[in-house]
Amino acid sequence: MKPEINRRDLFKLGIASAAILATGKAIGSSALAGTVDFVEGGKDFSPETGAERKMIPSACWNCVTRDSMIGFVEDGRLVKLEGHPNSIRGKGKICAKGAAGINQLYDPDRILYPMKRAGKRGEGKWKRISWDEALTDLAGRLKKLRDEGHPEKFMFHYGRMKASSSKIIKSVFLASYGTKTIGNHTSICEGAKWTGQELTWGKHYDNWDFDNTKMVVNFGSNCLEAHTNSIPVSQRLIDAVVDRKVKLFTFDVRISNTAAKSTEWVPVKPGTDRAVVLAMCKVIMDAGLYDKDFFNFIKATKNRKESTDAKIAALKKHLATFTPEWAEKISGVPAAKIKSIALEFAKTKPACVISYRGAVAHHHGADTERAVQMLAAITGNIDNPGGRCRGVGAKWKYPKGPKEKPKAKALKITHGFKGDIAYPTHGANHQVMKMIKDGKAGRPEIYMWYCYTPVYSHGEVQENIDVLKDESLIPFTVCVNAYYDESAALADLILPNPSYLEWWDWEDMVSPTQVPEYYIRQPFVKPLGESRDFKDVVCELADRMGFPLGFNSAEEFVKMSCEKTPVVKAAGGFEYMKKHGVYHDPNAKPKYYMYKKEVKTDDLKKEGVIFDTAAGVYWNWKKSKAKSEAEAKEKGYTKTKNAYKGYVGQEIEGKVYAGFKPDKVNKSGYFELYSELLEMKNFPALPSFTPIPSHEKMGPDDLILTSYKVAVHIHSRSANCKWLTEICHDNPAKINTKTARRLGIKSGDKIKIKSEIGEITTTADVTEGVVPGIVAISHHLGHWEYGRYASGNKVPMAGNDDPDLKLKTWSTHGVHPNWIMANKPDPISGQWAMLDNVVKVTRA
Amino acid sequence: MNQTEMDENRTAAKHRSNIYGMLALVYRQEMTSDLLKHVKDPRFLGVLNDLETEKTEEIDAFFQKPESELLEDLAVEYTRLFLGPGKHISPHESVHHQRDDGQWGKLWGASTAEVKKLIESTGLTYSENFKGLPDHIAVELEFMQQLTLREELAWMDADMDAAVSCRQAEKNFIEEHLIPWIPDFCEKVIQQAELPFYRVLAALTHSFIEFERRR
Amino acid sequence: MQEQLSLSRRQVLKGAGAAALTGAATLVPTGKAMAARGKAPRWAFIVDLRRCIGCRACTVACKAEFNVPIGAFRAAVYGEVTGVYPNSEMHFLPRLCNHCEGNKEDKVPPCVKECPEYPKDRREFVTSDGKKIRYRGGATYKRPDGLILFDNKLCTGCGKCIEACPYGARNFNKLLISGKDSTKNGITKCDFCQHRIEKGVAPSCVNICPGRARFFGDLNDPASKVSKLNKQFGLVDKRQETTLLPAENTVPMCFYIDDHGALSKIAAAKQKFEKNDAISDRII
Repeated sequence: MKPEINRRDLFKLGIASAAILATGKAIGSSALAGTVDFVEGGKDFSPETGAERKMIPSACWNCVTRDSMIGFVEDGRLVKLEGHPNSIRGKGKICAKGAAGINQLYDPDRILYPMKRAGKRGEGKWKRISWDEALTDLAGRLKKLRDEGHPEKFMFHYGRMKASSSKIIKSVFLASYGTKTIGNHTSICEGAKWTGQELTWGKHYDNWDFDNTKMVVNFGSNCLEAHTNSIPVSQRLIDAVVDRKVKLFTFDVRISNTAAKSTEWVPVKPGTDRAVVLAMCKVIMDAGLYDKDFFNFIKATKNRKESTDAKIAALKKHLATFTPEWAEKISGVPAAKIKSIALEFAKTKPACVISYRGAVAHHHGADTERAVQMLAAITGNIDNPGGRCRGVGAKWKYPKGPKEKPKAKALKITHGFKGDIAYPTHGANHQVMKMIKDGKAGRPEIYMWYCYTPVYSHGEVQENIDVLKDESLIPFTVCVNAYYDESAALADLILPNPSYLEWWDWEDMVSPTQVPEYYIRQPFVKPLGESRDFKDVVCELADRMGFPLGFNSAEEFVKMSCEKTPVVKAAGGFEYMKKHGVYHDPNAKPKYYMYKKEVKTDDLKKEGVIFDTAAGVYWNWKKSKAKSEAEAKEKGYTKTKNAYKGYVGQEIEGKVYAGFKPDKVNKSGYFELYSELLEMKNFPALPSFTPIPSHEKMGPDDLILTSYKVAVHIHSRSANCKWLTEICHDNPAKINTKTARRLGIKSGDKIKIKSEIGEITTTADVTEGVVPGIVAISHHLGHWEYGRYASGNKVPMAGNDDPDLKLKTWSTHGVHPNWIMANKPDPISGQWAMLDNVVKVTRA
Repeated sequence: MNQTEMDENRTAAKHRSNIYGMLALVYRQEMTSDLLKHVKDPRFLGVLNDLETEKTEEIDAFFQKPESELLEDLAVEYTRLFLGPGKHISPHESVHHQRDDGQWGKLWGASTAEVKKLIESTGLTYSENFKGLPDHIAVELEFMQQLTLREELAWMDADMDAAVSCRQAEKNFIEEHLIPWIPDFCEKVIQQAELPFYRVLAALTHSFIEFERRR
Repeated sequence: MQEQLSLSRRQVLKGAGAAALTGAATLVPTGKAMAARGKAPRWAFIVDLRRCIGCRACTVACKAEFNVPIGAFRAAVYGEVTGVYPNSEMHFLPRLCNHCEGNKEDKVPPCVKECPEYPKDRREFVTSDGKKIRYRGGATYKRPDGLILFDNKLCTGCGKCIEACPYGARNFNKLLISGKDSTKNGITKCDFCQHRIEKGVAPSCVNICPGRARFFGDLNDPASKVSKLNKQFGLVDKRQETTLLPAENTVPMCFYIDDHGALSKIAAAKQKFEKNDAISDRII
């Protein structure tokens, strides 16, 4: 019962309170300053005249596309987000996830203060601590490791960290600290695609020139719904399809939005896209529809000096067995369809072949990407207007931090188990927890994660929890996040990051027009509460450890970068970027055929540059790990560690071209269909077909589990956006009608899905929209933390503090398929072969 | 108005100011050693006991624990109740104040903007080192502390106009900002509190705000 | 005029801000464009189903524009898998208020007809050249430019307009108290972003649409994009095929460009789109 206070109580309480107040000064400072003064006051706060409203240009961060956008701020509150009308990339558009970002900024479940674990790890008991206490503790631990000569025992694991964020945190802070035990999340996304590209044309990222193309063939990309450059690319694809009647064929295991808008959805069995691509290549080669000129730049045989005719003959010979009829048996795609699409693709100039996770997140997924590259190459659709182009993004100059950096060390836990993976050029970070458990390659003392959730974002969730929770395996865990997710629950220290709507960056994502766009992200509002941009935090950490970075905040870094980057400086520098948000050179020409540029003779005569006859590569041995010129010459370009870093140019029939410059591996400057690097590791040198081992062993009633993204959710971190979760809050397992009939399953039935890892229970959605033999579950849901909308986790009476929560019409929060997915890697690239899991589905 | 009435008004304003100040202090942050000494003071506990907000023995027993243990327990409790991470009772008006326009249930909401403007319109400013949100419960209570302090001064100076202005401003703020959410907030805290201290504090806050409403 | 609290000055200013940035406030016909004619615009909304990629940016932009409470939608997209594997198709159908003209006889749409608080006060619509057109206000009413608007001050929260709408385009706004009965809720529905179009800025859903599948404009302006599309596809003439539920004879002003027969295929699937079902957006 609430007592009633009377006047006498008031006096007593007043006196007792006065005594407490007398010590008040010692107990934190008051929020308000000054005294009440009605004479000097009287600021107008009428809603009719008082509200200030500002338009601020910035950039999205809810997916890696990072669209430029504008926001409107009124009374210090961000009220709405829209696309930036002057961006050449997004052309004024953003997606549902971008527009819903505002839900995250004002999420009442946000973490606003640094938190330290009070009970056992994972027990859920916390204490607020000050930033000073948090950073004293953290800097102390970090410095100790560094002073002891083991900076590598600090592992930093990020999910999204791009552009200036990556430069500040990784290139400057972590490099100055001295750890290279740095994890990313690329093996979850598209590591196989990047490795496949690095083995063929060097630096990763392919831009699809939909503005100029006349036909598109798509293997496993859902670029109208998701994709790494979604909004810039999707609007151009739909323009092409509708305005220019460009044909679009989509090979996929389910009817994605992209498949839906295609001229034709071509259903394909999971993991068999490569068979179709190889057969298409065979059809094209046999029909003589290849682009003979481009073969000049192709390496198709062991001996690079073979004539074009010999290369063509060798390729034909290699492809001989990959007939459309053979591919039909494997993929389920009718041979006649393969033939007709292949012929049309070869005859239509220019044409663009695209690919993504659906095709590559498999065993030997990197070879699928190589096959796709081959299809583009033999038809001359590489780096040409309307074809598959090398990505062009802004090239910022930026402060590099302390000149003297220690030689960084790394624990070998980010690239998979020793000997398992040939070229894990983007890591095998879905295996980090497994490797920490194993311990043979060492374990981090401090494991920190940033925009990442090691528990949730890859397979074998239970194992991830077990490892992260175990203090004997990882003594200290630090989470940088604005929200309390499944991984934050297992942290020892939580550093409250703001949302991306409250921080600074310069940005550089690829432009679909082949003209780079410079753009920035700037805060719409100050970080809420005590949340602090982690980029600012690393500046202070570095100061505390005695190696100042040379800038004190992300804002300063962005400002300095604007002044250092000539094209931006000329446009008006930092002030211009703050005002306009985006800049591109209006006179810039789109970049195509970059490989055809000839290298200046002077560049070949520079100190350290030598010629490797076998590869035909001019390279600077001093940039490699070779200790002497003699050693470099003896080992040769292909076998000298980091030789690719010294690449200068490719000799082809007497001329030296910029060629297809390598990145991460010692590929030559040719467009390599024939890969000596793979051959050295006992993989087929030319793109080939290898059955998926788990699929070979399937029983008649087994199904393949596949997962996918929907248009309204970000990987793992949007379920707290109520406007998105309202639209998508359940992910029943989709099963083809025929398959369901065979298993006796109807829509709405509770079903069990069992893999070698474990079992989940969910609901069946029987549909004509997926291929038979699979079960498809989208992968954004099934949270058990992450706030009221994501998980239903809320305090009693919480409806009283959230009008929308009272109106929440749903009680399901979906089922996370990762619980039962094995964390197996593609042996070529380290890509998580997430789409290869074999399961048994039964009625629950 | 005669001098006695003015004195009475002045005293009332002084007490109210102190109480608002005390409450602001306790909600502002976790318990400190200094504050704990005064909370444990028989004068203060006596008031709580008089108010019968909780069983006397329970409170007494709670405060018998060693100081370090008390401080740790209270810090964990404060964090769990008001900060998270994860589910917690957000101590901000914009989250709880159920407005007719539906603009509530989020941080930095419509109420936040109103409170900030209102406070700044009286000549007060937010201190530079204040990192919280403008409508944190401690800020609103502190604002009332300041208003009532100003009222006290007005009575001392026999400045009737100022005193009336203060009273009007207090009344408006209580009705438009405190009443719409603090009682509800306090009930949530009472439900969720595991230790007697914040339960008592919430009950006391609720009672005091009701007292203020009745005035 | 303040129809409802959530649609106040704030959003009007937002629209102006977008225009200021682009320097082009002519996304839709502005006062200038209308001045020459001196008659009310005839607003039309066109959805090009060929271009809709089912991304739901419109749904969320609308939520953000009006803070539409959970459980209610003013705009939504339906997705439906039709056909039999392997010849399956998936179709998207964006939906919003059709701002119906009403049948030929009385030119009053069913929602307005059923509103017990219509007709009420006499109002004047002033065209850009100063010509005045008289019309009657109400809780739900039709403006001379074709906008079907809602005035919460007059609303009793009876819900008759919700039942009357064959398209389910109206929902209770559970966070809005109806003007005349504090025990009931007001409603929420698409108003073509009245506050934006008055400033010459496209409706929020049109502005965001990545596929550029949504068009809004004046059919009385032959230079407008909607007029051109109308001419190209004969949308008004073929309204039996280009509007939803033509048998209801409500004469919608929202048209669909539909060269894949999506409307009939979705209607045939009959699982999600039925008369009177409140529009909502779900992805499963």
